[in-house]
Amino acid sequence: MTVLPRRARSVGWHVLCLVIVAVVLYPLVWLAFASVKPPDEILSRLALLPTRFVFDGYAKGWEGAADVGFGRFFLNSFLVAGLSVAANVLSCSLAAFAFARLKFRFRGALFAFMITTLMLPYHVTLIPQYVIFQQAGLVNTFVPLILPKLLATEAFFVFLIVQFMRGIPRELDEAAIIDGCSVYRTFWHVVLPLSKPALVTTSIFTFIWTWNDFFTQMVYLNDTEKFTVPLGLRLFVDTSSESNFGAMFAMSALALVPIVLFFLAFQRLLVEGVSTSGLKG
Amino acid sequence: MGRTTERRTRGRGVAALAVVVPLLLTGVAACGSDSGGGGGDATITFVWWGSDGRANLTKKAVELFQQKNPNIKVQTSFSAYAAYWEKLATQTAGGKPPDVLNVDSRYLAEYGGRNVLADLNSGAGKAISLADVNPELAATGVYQGKRYAVPWAQNTPAMIYDPAAFTAAGADPAKGMSWDQYAETARKVGTAGPARGVTDFGILDTTLEIWLRQQGKQFYTPEGKLGFTGDDLRRYWQLASRFRDTQAASPADVTASYNTSPEQSPLGKKLTASEFAYDNLLPAYQKANGKPLNVAPYPSGANGDTGQYRRPSMFLSVSARSQQQAAAAKLVDFLINDPEVGKIVGTDRGLAPNLKVRAQLAATATGNDKTLYDYEAALEPKLGAAPPVPPKGAGAIQKLLQRTYEEVAFGRMSVDDAVNRFMTEAQKGLS
Amino acid sequence: MTTLRTPDPPVAPAAAARVRRRDPRGGRRRKSQPEAFAFLTPWLLGAVALTVGPMVVSLYLSFTDYDMFTTPKWIGFGNFAHMFTGDDRYLQSVKVTLIYVLVSVPLKLTVSLLVAMLLNTRRGANGFYRAAFYAPSLLGASVAAALVWRALFMGGGPVNEVLASFGWHTPSWVDDPQFSLASIVLLGVWQFGAPMVIFLAGLKQIPAELHEAAAIDGAGALRRFRHITLPMLSPVIFFNLVMEAIHAFQAFTPAFVIGGGRGGPADADLFYTLYLFEVGFQDFRMGYASAMAWVLLVVIAIVTAIVFRTAKLWVFYDDAESTGGRK
Repeated sequence: MTVLPRRARSVGWHVLCLVIVAVVLYPLVWLAFASVKPPDEILSRLALLPTRFVFDGYAKGWEGAADVGFGRFFLNSFLVAGLSVAANVLSCSLAAFAFARLKFRFRGALFAFMITTLMLPYHVTLIPQYVIFQQAGLVNTFVPLILPKLLATEAFFVFLIVQFMRGIPRELDEAAIIDGCSVYRTFWHVVLPLSKPALVTTSIFTFIWTWNDFFTQMVYLNDTEKFTVPLGLRLFVDTSSESNFGAMFAMSALALVPIVLFFLAFQRLLVEGVSTSGLKG
Repeated sequence: MGRTTERRTRGRGVAALAVVVPLLLTGVAACGSDSGGGGGDATITFVWWGSDGRANLTKKAVELFQQKNPNIKVQTSFSAYAAYWEKLATQTAGGKPPDVLNVDSRYLAEYGGRNVLADLNSGAGKAISLADVNPELAATGVYQGKRYAVPWAQNTPAMIYDPAAFTAAGADPAKGMSWDQYAETARKVGTAGPARGVTDFGILDTTLEIWLRQQGKQFYTPEGKLGFTGDDLRRYWQLASRFRDTQAASPADVTASYNTSPEQSPLGKKLTASEFAYDNLLPAYQKANGKPLNVAPYPSGANGDTGQYRRPSMFLSVSARSQQQAAAAKLVDFLINDPEVGKIVGTDRGLAPNLKVRAQLAATATGNDKTLYDYEAALEPKLGAAPPVPPKGAGAIQKLLQRTYEEVAFGRMSVDDAVNRFMTEAQKGLS
Repeated sequence: MTTLRTPDPPVAPAAAARVRRRDPRGGRRRKSQPEAFAFLTPWLLGAVALTVGPMVVSLYLSFTDYDMFTTPKWIGFGNFAHMFTGDDRYLQSVKVTLIYVLVSVPLKLTVSLLVAMLLNTRRGANGFYRAAFYAPSLLGASVAAALVWRALFMGGGPVNEVLASFGWHTPSWVDDPQFSLASIVLLGVWQFGAPMVIFLAGLKQIPAELHEAAAIDGAGALRRFRHITLPMLSPVIFFNLVMEAIHAFQAFTPAFVIGGGRGGPADADLFYTLYLFEVGFQDFRMGYASAMAWVLLVVIAIVTAIVFRTAKLWVFYDDAESTGGRK
């Protein structure tokens, strides 16, 4: 290895990192600028910066597509994502508590089964589930998107919370039991509050994944009125001429804003939390 | 103590569920469309495909309908062609197709045959009057003895082109030309650049159909089989390849971006100077392209026949599962027969199906409408009758043709291999 | 209902499982607690009504001809036979998906490992870089990101232009069968942040003394990478490999959006899930779609089993008790 002065190596390292940052963030920066470019510049000019800033795309995009305002799509997405978070946190923590703390018959087998469903491609259950919801008259409502979360079908989060709860010292809940607390109170007043980091992680990821979800929402939602943000964006692709690209990219940029905000707010928890507490176990 | 607390906590859990579940359901209800009420005796849903511009016109017509029928409320929705069929398929699978829907001849047999569409010869459908519709055109909505649809408009397959580019190449397509002349002119346009002469038509089922008709053949037989042989297809694709190889037609990657909507088609994006489409789409192409465009007949075959026909531009159908068939039929009747609707929608979908309305409109037409009326009037004596309703699977064959030809255009498959694949797959799909 | 996506950082506790010692009080209370089932009720309901039940039904449907409008018709192995002998598009979808998995997963893991090693220092601004690299993992699965990708790789788009300035004239990537899939692979690789963060955490666990001792013994950087980093990191590589592969098999949104909703030019982007969707929800061949889903399940199970089996050969655990704990 060539021996370079410490400083030079450090500068080189930063330069390399910054180059990677530029490549990685380029698409996002491109989107941000494309959303304020005059429509004819979006594809034809290579320069990132627009010759003049135009916000028509946002105004036009917000009017929405096929007669439904984009605000409606956002509202629907927030509703679906919000309810999914509540449903997931509730149901997954209930199941996780049972697996982490309680003794019951077939516990090992049920736990193994849950782990197996982690690897299950959801296409295997897709069609019968669709038939069930169709027979129940629930296609084209939000129920098929939220009910599975209320029934803790996302094994990943159950597993996540189980692992976390197992790390909470048992002495705490045993003390509570000795004090006369029921299992329910122990769960509610002792274990659940202590599991907050896992619940927050669950909430964040449920929100982001639901926000990004396209397939399920496309399969179950039919009326444009009930469309969520990804489906709304798709409408632009179909009906837009190039002159309307501004609107499409403006709304794409808006669609990413909630995730970016989440990321900035919980960045420490999302990324740093892993390396400090995560793998060390 | 344990027991009472337990009961209390469990009660609380139940209470929590009791709160969450209705929240879910009301959340949904709040977001659902108005469920009937609101003063109307009947609420029907009505969907179609097309652009924003078309939607504005159609909604004006629907408004007029609601004024005249205050007891019927119509909820409308629309999307682009490809997305429309995708969505209609999931809606149908979901068990709730819309009450009134826009249907294309390619999908008539499919949806009619599955009993998704109501037979308008019986029941509420009898209220729809076809008295003033050209009987030949009206017949195109009948499949296996059942009237699954009524024509909403009449159009004709046509070539949309940029007159400036073609004049520069020394030709006037409006006067008609042979395929050879067209190949030569398109080559001149293409080599002059930047736009190629024509959007590669090897992917288009309509163009293949017209080309076959020019030779006295048909795309589908009345029995629902392919009406042409592998040899016919080979010659057609060889013709298209000749255009492509001489830079007359668009390069493969441009052709592959074609998705049926004028806004995103190569001509709409100024990448080509002409494209085979339908005459009523002229304004949409013009808007996308920006330059003044014109409409011309197809290049003609050996005997001078252009092979064009009175095409049911699109249909209106009523869902067999609709709870409001009477109201739905009323809307359909209104849309095809009301003279005021004719005035509102103009020639956006093509000529009005009702001949009396059409005659009135033709007399007063201006601008693009007039171009279309003049074009159709000049063509009228040459127009043949529409072919029989394409069989179930015609929608899939449209996509198959596009896919297989793309293999040829990209040089990944020889014409012969592609023809073999198409014929095998198509025959499988139609059996 | 949602796809099993890359378990992003929070999966870290999964690794915690590895090191978790057996619960010393494990066998103390043998008695089953009735309350347990109260807690388990939602999950059990879901498992029965939305997982096991539907799985059984879809297994049944896979042996039928079913269009949702009429009752299913038993056709034995007809669907499966057609898949492998009579359906070129099915085979194309298998080919596309396999290429995607075999190219994008190793590429993504390589990039994420290299970048993780780059970031495994105590230099300043480390946190910033890590966060920046991680961001696409959260955004990348969205329709918005796929739309951006489509625009970047379109004819005349930035990628075309940049390559042309280097003298390489490419067609519109998204519209060309030779390049289209490559653009989707790159979209996958762009999201290298999630495995990178997990690698980085793994790298931090490797005691610095090992490297120092080896360096003193005269081992070069490459040798140390081969003999220290790789073996020590193998459990993490194993975990990332399994997760990314399962994830890649089920990719849908990018292929759908970039391929224009129809499988791309000449079916070059016809992913397995895309074809399954088309068959089931466009052509109403629900029986065939169910059969396809079961084949996918079996393939994923086999691949996972192979990875687990071979894991014994190349995954190095410092803790004998924990083998397999990383499921």
